[in-house]
Amino acid sequence: MNADITKTDWAPRVLVLLCNWPLYTQSDLAEVAKTREIPQVRVLKVPCAGRINPLFILMALQEGNDGVLVVGCPPESCHYKAGNYLSNRKLVVLKRFLEYLGMEEGRVRFEWIANPEQGGLSRLVREHYEHVKQFGPVEKLVRSHFASGPLSYSSP
Amino acid sequence: MKKIAKADMGRFIARLLEQYMVYAPVQVDDAIQFQEITTPSEAYLDYQNSTKSPKGVFLPQSEVLFRYNKGPKQVTVTPPEEIKKERVLLGVRGCDVRATLLLDAIFNTPVNPDVYYEEKRGKTIIIGLACSEPPSLCFCTSVGGTPFDRKGSDLFLIDISDAYLVDVLTDKGEKLLDDTLFRDATAADLELARKREAEALEQMPPPLEVKQLKDKLDGMVESPLWGTLAERCLRCGICAYLCPSCYCFDIVDEDYGSSGERVRNWDACMFSLYSLETSGHNPRPTGSERWRQRLMHKFNYAIGQCGDALCVGCGRCVQGCPVNIDIRKIVTDVMAS
Amino acid sequence: MDKLTQKIRQEAARLLADHQVDRVIGFQEGTLPLRSAPVIVHDPADVDKLVWNSFCGNNLARYLRGLGGRRVAIVAKGCDVRSIIALIVEKQFSRDQVVIIGVPCQRMIDWRKVAKAVNGEILRAEERDGELLVESKGFKRSLQRDDFIHSLCAACTHRNPIVYDILVGEPVEEAGQTPFPESAAFEERSPAERWAFYKDEMSRCIRCYGCREACPMCYCEECFVDHSQPSWIAKSVEPSAVQIWQIVRAYHQAGRCVSCGACERACPMNIKLLYLTEGLNDLAREMFDFETGLNTESLPPFATFDPDAMRDTAKQDGR
Repeated sequence: MNADITKTDWAPRVLVLLCNWPLYTQSDLAEVAKTREIPQVRVLKVPCAGRINPLFILMALQEGNDGVLVVGCPPESCHYKAGNYLSNRKLVVLKRFLEYLGMEEGRVRFEWIANPEQGGLSRLVREHYEHVKQFGPVEKLVRSHFASGPLSYSSP
Repeated sequence: MKKIAKADMGRFIARLLEQYMVYAPVQVDDAIQFQEITTPSEAYLDYQNSTKSPKGVFLPQSEVLFRYNKGPKQVTVTPPEEIKKERVLLGVRGCDVRATLLLDAIFNTPVNPDVYYEEKRGKTIIIGLACSEPPSLCFCTSVGGTPFDRKGSDLFLIDISDAYLVDVLTDKGEKLLDDTLFRDATAADLELARKREAEALEQMPPPLEVKQLKDKLDGMVESPLWGTLAERCLRCGICAYLCPSCYCFDIVDEDYGSSGERVRNWDACMFSLYSLETSGHNPRPTGSERWRQRLMHKFNYAIGQCGDALCVGCGRCVQGCPVNIDIRKIVTDVMAS
Repeated sequence: MDKLTQKIRQEAARLLADHQVDRVIGFQEGTLPLRSAPVIVHDPADVDKLVWNSFCGNNLARYLRGLGGRRVAIVAKGCDVRSIIALIVEKQFSRDQVVIIGVPCQRMIDWRKVAKAVNGEILRAEERDGELLVESKGFKRSLQRDDFIHSLCAACTHRNPIVYDILVGEPVEEAGQTPFPESAAFEERSPAERWAFYKDEMSRCIRCYGCREACPMCYCEECFVDHSQPSWIAKSVEPSAVQIWQIVRAYHQAGRCVSCGACERACPMNIKLLYLTEGLNDLAREMFDFETGLNTESLPPFATFDPDAMRDTAKQDGR
């Protein structure tokens, strides 16, 4: 279990929810590939940041992702006109609510990336990765690991 | 009859904790909950009623029935480990024990018993506690119970000021006793207990007319009365979840890719989802039909099936309902109609 | 209070007799001390059931679901009216379907606070001239009513109905405060303390959904917890499932909650829920300058956006 691994030799599992549109040219795809090379970083493409149901972020934390980074398009650049505006509201409120409840600040991050920006994505992901590393493995909201958890969840 | 000084209860519970897992009433914030205790001082026996019933000791709210793992060539199914440490349910009221007996008729049947319930039931020793100060909400005497109902307990404690009278009812209960803490009760002790019982009975409200209720309900399935009796019902699960004799459950497979678990969770007929059919049709669309089902099950169908109403008069549903739906009033209104 | 009760009964009788409305939603005497129960009156002959007192804490806008084409009257205090407006904005029904019998709120009693203060089961209670006379076994006590107001009512900034068709009683002084003291105090604590508190409170949750069903804004035909194939979270009381259930229920109220307290009042396990909803109300105020249910023109924050204010780093920073 994560609890046994010391912080120094532990690599955080980071989920990047990446909007399809900021990086879609050939050189951009190379950038995405470079990002995928960072160990334990998973990039999940979505057609628009506005498609992201806030529950995805909570599910990601529940499954043990130590960091969740949402990357969308800057103002006035949304391929679908307003997805980035709406997602900015929804996701930033969720992020701030989680932090209000005590979630480490910055485990969940919503960022936009200008289109195109050479090296921007991998730099952003590295930044988030290093930031999350300082918190150690995620514990809050993680599902009780069924193999070692109790067979009955509740007291009477 | 034996007795134990209240001052010695701590030592008794400490001895129980050496051998058994002990569930007892515990003060959590301003409410009483039944929980596993690890030290004697946690047990709080001077309570009137707990918020939730202790039925979770036998029927946990969420219980893993088995875990499974899909390997490359086979699926391994892991059932729960056998319960190694026996349990003691300490300080439970007669009404809650009575409810357990009602649940036995459903789960602990001679043929095809529910193995999960059966194991827990068989490995639990019940130390009942007489109700000397019944809350004003209680109506156990209306449904065949009494504040000093000892049926189903292995040991039964009666508060006689600085001691508890101990009625030893079964061998299971007897093996918990020893000579150092338990002595024989005197005639005066027995007299005091009788007096307490009489006082408790005096505090009970006049019984509701439950005997004729079943017959009255027989002719009422289509009655328009249901439209108004519980129109304000929110269709939450509070009454069912607090109730010691409600037992509906849902079984869900929680799948996590190549592994998962099958879980049994409490369910409630009060939820809209409970009767929702795949087509989208719901035969019990509003709170009115759901309350009809609740009352019918408790005071009509159950009596037809096993002779007893599925209610022990603990009053928890009355206390817990956010919109103050009072089963006592509904019963009275139905009888008066 | 008697005058208010009388006026409510008069108006209800008139509305029903004239067939202006199908039903009147109000409060009746409860069967428990310190509680009044919601009631739906269909017949003018039954209007004498209606009462008004300091035990009318439920949010009656909850009963405005599934109106269809019907017209109903509702006895509504400040927060209830805001819920009605919020529901109109969300197109659940139109303004002309609801006859609002508005009552400026005298602030409602928190019966749990009273129970805590009295050492014994409360058998009877009566409110008279600013005092609460409670009777237990063997003694009576007189309490100052104002000491037992519900914490949300004490902080309320919208006691007067913002809109109404009939006003019952005199307007009252608005003397509340934002942010809500409990959520402000919560925010002062360290992140670790906050999470520990949240986890501890949620460990008592029994997924009864009393909070959801009591809330006027939780009207989804299928709640996310009931969705299956695939399911979002487990139906069990596994801790992370419970924690996410509560986070999302509160989150779904962001920009929709009117601070009525119905959720916490409904909870049978005495779980603190107000710091959750009020925390989100604080965020809505700070980030979008929005308060629920003040007018029928403003859209709730998640239903709209402002391109110019998309990234005001102080308010909406996603970092």
